[in-house]
Amino acid sequence: MAKKTPYFEHESLQDKDAIVSYLKAITQGFKKGAIKLSDEDEDFVLTPQAFANLKIKATQSKKGQTLNIKINWSSDQDEDADDAPLFIAPKTPKKSKNNKKSS
Amino acid sequence: MQLIPPLYDPLRFLIIELQKQLELVTLFFETGEADVAERSLARVDYIDNYHLNLLNRAAAFLTEHPEPESRVAVQSYEHLNQSLKTLSRQCQAIVFQAQACRSTLKILRRKAVFKALQDLTAGLEMIEPAVESEGSSLAIDICRLKVHIDKRCDQQLDRLKKRLKKGQQTDVLLNASFVLRDISAMGEALLRIGEGIISANLGQMIQIERYHSLEATLTALELNPQQNELSIRALGETKSGCSLSGVMGADSEGEMLAVFKEGDQAKLQEEKTGIESWHQVYPGIAPKVYSYHKNGSKAALLFEYLTGDTFERLLLDKDRKLLKRGLNTLFGTLKNIWQETQAEEAQAAHYMQQLKKRLPAIFAVHPEFEHKMININGVKSHSIDNLIEACATIEDGLTVPNAVYIHGDFNLDNIIYDSVEDEVNFIDLHRSDYQDYVQDLSVLMVSCYRIANFDPKVRKLIAQTMQAIYDFGADYANQINDHSYTLRMALGLSRSFLTSTRFVLDKQHAKAMHFRARYLLEQIVRLSPQQLNHYQIPKEIFHD
Repeated sequence: MAKKTPYFEHESLQDKDAIVSYLKAITQGFKKGAIKLSDEDEDFVLTPQAFANLKIKATQSKKGQTLNIKINWSSDQDEDADDAPLFIAPKTPKKSKNNKKSS
Repeated sequence: MQLIPPLYDPLRFLIIELQKQLELVTLFFETGEADVAERSLARVDYIDNYHLNLLNRAAAFLTEHPEPESRVAVQSYEHLNQSLKTLSRQCQAIVFQAQACRSTLKILRRKAVFKALQDLTAGLEMIEPAVESEGSSLAIDICRLKVHIDKRCDQQLDRLKKRLKKGQQTDVLLNASFVLRDISAMGEALLRIGEGIISANLGQMIQIERYHSLEATLTALELNPQQNELSIRALGETKSGCSLSGVMGADSEGEMLAVFKEGDQAKLQEEKTGIESWHQVYPGIAPKVYSYHKNGSKAALLFEYLTGDTFERLLLDKDRKLLKRGLNTLFGTLKNIWQETQAEEAQAAHYMQQLKKRLPAIFAVHPEFEHKMININGVKSHSIDNLIEACATIEDGLTVPNAVYIHGDFNLDNIIYDSVEDEVNFIDLHRSDYQDYVQDLSVLMVSCYRIANFDPKVRKLIAQTMQAIYDFGADYANQINDHSYTLRMALGLSRSFLTSTRFVLDKQHAKAMHFRARYLLEQIVRLSPQQLNHYQIPKEIFHD
């Protein structure tokens, strides 16, 4: 059976303090590398990586103002791959005529 | 491109007819009505007429204007003429396919398919303005549509492939797949049209004197192209507008005897000088030159065909073992070259100056990269000009080790690895000079990242290859007490990431490269003098 892609969405009216606490929760999640999201149907964890794309969009009209923040990152899709490095520096350089320490 | 009214008129009519044909094909896809299909097929005769008309007029025009410049201009009209006819033939083929099996259309009535057809329609609409404009940006947009069309078709093909595996309705599914292939081929024809307009603007169309130069250079191999003892196979074109062909003997079972390169005289002269200087500086790494022939502004070079694969091939083949062996042979060779060619003096690469010079060309392809300084509640992000300026000041203060002889255009596809002999060779040597070795390494790393292949396995190998090159350079830097390696590498990478976007039409991919370039520059600007000494490039930027 095909697995459903996890999906989470939330929208509500909040006061300033509450919004700050939401943003803080997300910031904390970024620091820890895990943002837990759940509702009655879904329960999953986003794992922010060391690098991510950040897009900030702001608009202003007569009706109101909007601030959009979009953060996206890619996950390691090929976890079974061989992680061994392709180059390993030799420990003792072959031709180190000048570098020898006289101890 | 140059407007020649007697040729442009039939071309415009051809485009209009083709637009009608495509419109009817789209309508046929929507409705499935046999009558609409027939109407679309009826356009073909008109299109053939205009095609022929343009050919005749081109011949007549050339008789009246035999000068070489008009020949290049006429060629570009012929090129567009041919590509448009190909498009029309594909439209026809699609209708035939769909008529052969009625249920095909049901399967193809998907948003992505209609979007692909819309992209084609949009492409056709753009041809006239692109031909009439003096710049190439519209033509580039036309080329870009191919990427979109391919994505949509591939996505649908994958869907059909999955259904085919179930073993039901195979006839219809196969038929629908053929139609998708044809739509994808139309994207290809659109790309050719865009390329045609760009080359017309550059004045570097197909070289007509090619055969004559070939004839002249081949005498060096004591071969005669007029006798059927050898054949010529096109190998492709270089970015600098030269064409490459392989020369094969008829009796040597397709074995390549030599490579024939033809193009701008100044470029090829540089290349010849480059090869010769490598023979002096480090014999055995560059191909042998058999002959060189000059004809006005054009020249031709015949040189040794090197057996083996380019490193790009090694990466795409996903053979990790072979790639590792090749890389380590390359590293060993580079170290030898650097040790043996060390100059008396240092030669700074001036990465930021190089980058600054290329900015207009980058913005011409990606205008969205030219963004202004921003400030969000005190957090600032500088404009690219400011970043480059600030980094240039830091770069000026760096101590550069003695120059070594470098390749100068060290892309993956300019290095050939012969796995049988376990040795590497360099090609495309027109920019070789005494320089900072980091220049070659950073160019090589970005040429890995630039590969437009998004198979997760390939991407992982790319990241690992970049890491290996970086580590090899760091190890060498350590041995020669080069303390500013990391910073120069960051500046070099940034330069190559950004300048390479000129050749990347895929928006996402270009953006990823742009962001990496900016990230490195922003990081360097933020460092304190103490931090500069211990700076490390985060290896995450090698990954997607």
